[in-house]
Amino acid sequence: MLPIYAYGIIDFNGRIEKAIQGIEKSCVYNMPYHDIGVVVSDIQTGMRPAESYHVLEHEDVVEKLMDDFTVLPMRFRTVFNNKDNLMEMLTTYHSDFRQNLARLCNKAEFGIKVFWRGDIIRKRITDVYNKSHQVDYTSSGSSGKNFLIEKFRMHEIEKEFEKKANQYSEIIDNYFTPIAVEKKLKKLQTENLLLNASYLFDKDKQNIFVAAFEQLKKEHSGLKYLFSGPWPPYNFIHLGVGKEAHEKSN
Amino acid sequence: MRKVIKVDSPKEFIQEMGKMQTALPKNIDIKPRDADKGLAKLVLTLIDLLRKLMEKQAIKRIEGRLLTEEEIENVGQALMKLETKMQELKEIFGLKDEDLKLNLGPLGDLM
Repeated sequence: MLPIYAYGIIDFNGRIEKAIQGIEKSCVYNMPYHDIGVVVSDIQTGMRPAESYHVLEHEDVVEKLMDDFTVLPMRFRTVFNNKDNLMEMLTTYHSDFRQNLARLCNKAEFGIKVFWRGDIIRKRITDVYNKSHQVDYTSSGSSGKNFLIEKFRMHEIEKEFEKKANQYSEIIDNYFTPIAVEKKLKKLQTENLLLNASYLFDKDKQNIFVAAFEQLKKEHSGLKYLFSGPWPPYNFIHLGVGKEAHEKSN
Repeated sequence: MRKVIKVDSPKEFIQEMGKMQTALPKNIDIKPRDADKGLAKLVLTLIDLLRKLMEKQAIKRIEGRLLTEEEIENVGQALMKLETKMQELKEIFGLKDEDLKLNLGPLGDLM
């Protein structure tokens, strides 16, 4: 039996009419389980998709499914050794999948990454701090105290830097929060990546969402943006509640 | 639905996303010959975590003006020695500061 590559869970347990090609041109089909299905294709034994074009093939399948169904996209490289393993996963998470499919019906996500010159902002904060807190290290003469004063200075600068990042992030977030259904914000993943946000929204609000971004870009042109979507709701699938219930019932 | 992708400076974003990948390693690289280094990395990461927590505590107490001059000197001396010792150990095992980050997956970095 060949390993099974999984693309996503859909709210449909019938045969997919559309012909879809998957990883390495494999044939994509739906494997029904009660009222839902898991969309898969058989791949060669020992094959673990790792090339960049495989990512695109995976995403292409998920997006084609999105046209017709609610999709819970699987993580790239989700491979089951056999059908039994796949069925075991479906049995465990069936209730979770159903809840998520209901919650994410007619929804998609947009991603926005905001880039600022964190290095320059930190330098500015440091200059201002140093001007207003001039310390004569040599006069105090004690190395232990000087060491802690320096640590304290770095801590204060960091605090101010994070405060500034929070202020900017809040301004940006305010453009999208009124339109979004759910959101996930990650701040300062690197010094220059101010905000990495994902917003879940109703599909019929796509144009409003794009307009909000255009307005943000116009009003805050000093920042740099990477705005993309609609994507399958990769960041908004919550698993675990149904699984716990399933385990208790056994 | 029509896909929208708008990016101001693709090169800068690729560069920054590259840094993010380095900050959040997906796999642990374990080679038998590097087992000592791996163990040292784990132990030093934990010691460094404790050191940073102690440092934060000291800073909070300075902020709250809870330490006397003498206590500041003593705590400062202790933390300074600990930091110097950590530097020595990192050099011995060929570790850099970024090697001692403890990543908790979706929860992010510990410190």
